[in-house]
Amino acid sequence: MMKKVLAITQVLLILVLISSCRNQGDKGSEFVFPESDSIPVKESEKLSREAIDDIVQNIGSPVEMAALLMGLEVPFISEHLASVEQAENLSTNHQKALRLGIYGADLGYLNIYQKTGTAVETLSTINKLADGLRVGQYFNFETLKNLALNKSNIDSLLFLSVRSYNQMDEYLRKNDRGYLSALMITGVWLEAQYLACQVVKDYPHIDLKNRIGEQKIIINDLLMLLRPYNESSDEYAELYRDIEMLKREYSDVDITYTPGEPETVEKDGRLIVVQREESSVEFSDEVLKGIIIKTEEIRNKIVSL
Amino acid sequence: MKRTTIFIIFLLLAASSLNAQDQQQMVSDCALSIGGNTTYLKDFVIKLPEAGNKDNIPVHKENIYLMRKQTYLFTQCNADDSEGELIIELYDKNKQITSSVSKRNGKVYTSIEFSCNKTGLYTLWYSFKDGERGMGVGIVSLLK
Repeated sequence: MMKKVLAITQVLLILVLISSCRNQGDKGSEFVFPESDSIPVKESEKLSREAIDDIVQNIGSPVEMAALLMGLEVPFISEHLASVEQAENLSTNHQKALRLGIYGADLGYLNIYQKTGTAVETLSTINKLADGLRVGQYFNFETLKNLALNKSNIDSLLFLSVRSYNQMDEYLRKNDRGYLSALMITGVWLEAQYLACQVVKDYPHIDLKNRIGEQKIIINDLLMLLRPYNESSDEYAELYRDIEMLKREYSDVDITYTPGEPETVEKDGRLIVVQREESSVEFSDEVLKGIIIKTEEIRNKIVSL
Repeated sequence: MKRTTIFIIFLLLAASSLNAQDQQQMVSDCALSIGGNTTYLKDFVIKLPEAGNKDNIPVHKENIYLMRKQTYLFTQCNADDSEGELIIELYDKNKQITSSVSKRNGKVYTSIEFSCNKTGLYTLWYSFKDGERGMGVGIVSLLK
């Protein structure tokens, strides 16, 4: 009887151990010390944070803006990329998480334009930053580097790099490190916004201008994502204030909606749906100029740290 | 006794490792099966129990921003051992925009191409047809 109880206890212990290991990534077998700079979550804040996470988990896409630029046949301009020099000297997790986001958007830009040779340096920097934040287990540097160098399979390279970011973000949020996830997402969003703002100066395509204007919808959720942490440190408060100032630049951007019913057809076994309800954006070039200047100011401040 | 315990531990560890690997493999296989002309954006692994009754089918919801003048592809793949067939419904707030199940004949489409004309936050509702127990993955990609 005693032996049976002992055996069942052992099995239960193993099950608990296994379920706790499930959240670890591929390389995540080492003991993890408590996060020194994670923000203690008050119960009252926890629920709202979870709700916010649900709302805004996909704000920053590392490839969507780059895909738009590519679609508009805008040439690749390497000068728009953030320098990877000095990135290893970043001292706080706040700085590392923001930069991780910024380089993620740059990697998306490089990969979409198939500048994969240049991407290796960015990949290496991302790998170091991810290790520094203890999410390196989701960034398979060797595989990504080989795919980039061989230029053999761009689809796989794009898939793996974007998925790595999704997994890092998910891991941070699920492990009570939403503080860092919010920064990473902000970095991705800000760099994509910066790329669009730089490009629109030389290629003032209406679709690109509109895409910048539509960020008015997203910037509100971005602020909501940062809000629970904005008093946690001076650097967080400063970032929050900066994004709030950028939001103010959007106050004269008007977004209107025209109702309509979607149209659906079947073609080659695929369902094709065209949305007839439309959103449209209106704002002056003066407003655009203000958005560009403020975006540059915030982004350049972050990359000069 | 010791041997039995070690054997059970081995089986549990192997099963756990396979489970995680299977999920990774399922996502990769599904994403890379979509083919050229698309760019992967996001994946959602869906695992739902059997519905208690047909009026209360378990649903997995995910919010996602979709941008105007962009065409998205929603692709659903089922795990090999899934009993149910994964379906998707796209909602704009409380209004259903589309579903991968044909209202006319009940046919399930494995992919939906959506030309978005309104930038905003949408909700993806994933469930299994007829409330069956199932596992699968939903991939969201951009159509170039």
